[in-house]
Amino acid sequence: MGDSVVLSLKNIWKVYQMGDIRVNALKDFSLDIQEGEYIVIMGPSGSGKSTFLQITGCLDKPTQGEVFIDGVNTSNMSDNQLAAIRNKKLGFVFQSFNLLSKMTAQENGALPLIYSGVNRRKRMNRAQELLERVGLGDRIHHRPNELSGGQQQRVAIARALANDPPVVLADEPTGNLDSKSSEEILNILKALHKSGKTIIVVTHDPDMIHQGNTIVHILDGQIEKIERKS
Amino acid sequence: MELFIESIRSLLANKLRTFLSMLGIIIGVTAMIAVVSIGQGATASITERISSLGSNVFMISPGFSGGSSGKAYVSLSDVLTKKDVENIAMLCPSIKGVSPIIQQRFSVKYGTNNTSSQIYAIYPDFFQILNLELENGRMINQEDIDDYAKVGVIGKDIANDLFGTENPLGKTVYMTVSVGRTNKTIPIQIIGTLVQTGSKLMYNPDKMLIIPFTTAEGRIVNTRGSVSTILASAISPELSERAHLEIDQVLYMRLQDSTKYSITSQDSILGAVSEVTGIMNLFLGSIAAISLLVGGIGIMNIMLVSVSERTREIGIKKALGATRKRILMEFLVESVTITFIAGVLGVLLGIGLSKAVEIVASAYELKTQVTWDSILIAFGTASLIGLFFGIYPASKASKLSPLEALRYE
Repeated sequence: MGDSVVLSLKNIWKVYQMGDIRVNALKDFSLDIQEGEYIVIMGPSGSGKSTFLQITGCLDKPTQGEVFIDGVNTSNMSDNQLAAIRNKKLGFVFQSFNLLSKMTAQENGALPLIYSGVNRRKRMNRAQELLERVGLGDRIHHRPNELSGGQQQRVAIARALANDPPVVLADEPTGNLDSKSSEEILNILKALHKSGKTIIVVTHDPDMIHQGNTIVHILDGQIEKIERKS
Repeated sequence: MELFIESIRSLLANKLRTFLSMLGIIIGVTAMIAVVSIGQGATASITERISSLGSNVFMISPGFSGGSSGKAYVSLSDVLTKKDVENIAMLCPSIKGVSPIIQQRFSVKYGTNNTSSQIYAIYPDFFQILNLELENGRMINQEDIDDYAKVGVIGKDIANDLFGTENPLGKTVYMTVSVGRTNKTIPIQIIGTLVQTGSKLMYNPDKMLIIPFTTAEGRIVNTRGSVSTILASAISPELSERAHLEIDQVLYMRLQDSTKYSITSQDSILGAVSEVTGIMNLFLGSIAAISLLVGGIGIMNIMLVSVSERTREIGIKKALGATRKRILMEFLVESVTITFIAGVLGVLLGIGLSKAVEIVASAYELKTQVTWDSILIAFGTASLIGLFFGIYPASKASKLSPLEALRYE
């Protein structure tokens, strides 16, 4: 395992104003994530783990504090720069898959490549290659509604890998899946980790504890404890 | 290009809605093309009829006395007289030909065939002023005038009505004229037939029976020297302005009142007509433009619906790295594509509609003109409307925060 820090959160505060009430979703939250780490973020709902993922994924900006991705401070970046970071450095896997229903599996997989300016032929080849890697080589022309939940999530993983990002962020990736499909997904994530990717999974599923090599427990917007497995 | 393909796909995903939102633009463009082409066609055909008169022709008619403008043309106003015709002929050096006209409708009979015809009682110059050509026989000459000859030249339509396939030359037709309470029949021998011309401004030679002025004056109607109209022509189009002045001077000298007569030239009619048709075209065009505008608002409406419907899709795309500009372009291309396709359909329908109008209105010899100008303008306007009314929804879409959009259900 490398020693270089790929992702670093420094003194993050995230405050939501809900009517008259101010909610501190994250309170002075700091975490360094090493390259090649497999981190599982655990916590009950409302603990701030979703906020953590959104801020880490550059989908939202912290109220205070700084996020470094690959050593680059993203705090003062423009929307376009953040879009580029999301596109190149991060791969997203969502609980509800978030595939575009009008597109085939292949086109969904190729979507991030559009935004990095890859031509259509290369995009399609890349998407096909990735879909084959997640075991959907025979389903590339299917639309999401013709695929099972597990297959859809695999398409989403292929999509997350399109630009070969160093970090994959997964938000309850097995939350909508049966146990068999869940296992497939977890195996794919494990394989990705082995291939050198940094994997960050947010979940409240206790079974996931057996997955990562670092388990971070969050409670009330703060780190409760960190377990590291050797 | 890829944006274009993608926009086509998303438009096809909602065929009915796309079509309905296109309808406004289609109707607008169709209306614009059809209205402009019909307007231009009408203008052209009116202009052509007026121009067929020749640019050096003047029509001198008696002025209207207040309130009596509704009077039938038959009741001869006694302002203009034979004397004026002579004066114009003598005193106006720029005038080539001049002829009085007594114009009246009579029943004309040949054998068992009966028709009602406009009788034109004229001087020989009449033929040359209106550029009339003979198909057969001869024109009315000075001798006929001097002799009060009972001869006539007829137009094609009248010839067909009375004679059918028979050769009218040398045949005699009978005009029925009422004198007091009794009807008198006057025989007229046909000495010439005219080549078919179609109508020229206010005259349609095809429907004329032309007889010597003196014949009408002496034998048919007692006008005591007055005439319905005087037709005159200038030596050349260049001299027509001068001729106009000369006629005006001659008439004013005798009548001392410029409201008692009016001199109309082709140019003055053209000017008035083009002003009227210009206003008409502008008016109709602006109605078409309004329907385009309404169509544009329809597009905006649909695009806004589409943005809120696709909030989640926008969120996903942004999360995957789509920039604001990219989302903006996606929606803009989509709305421009809608209006572009609608514009194409509208242009085709507009051309079809104006052709249809041409067929329906063929009786009026109306040739519609679909010009490239109108196509380009309608097309350009439609695309601009797509762009303009697409900007707001597109920028709304592009400003969505990825997080908010992803949360949206």
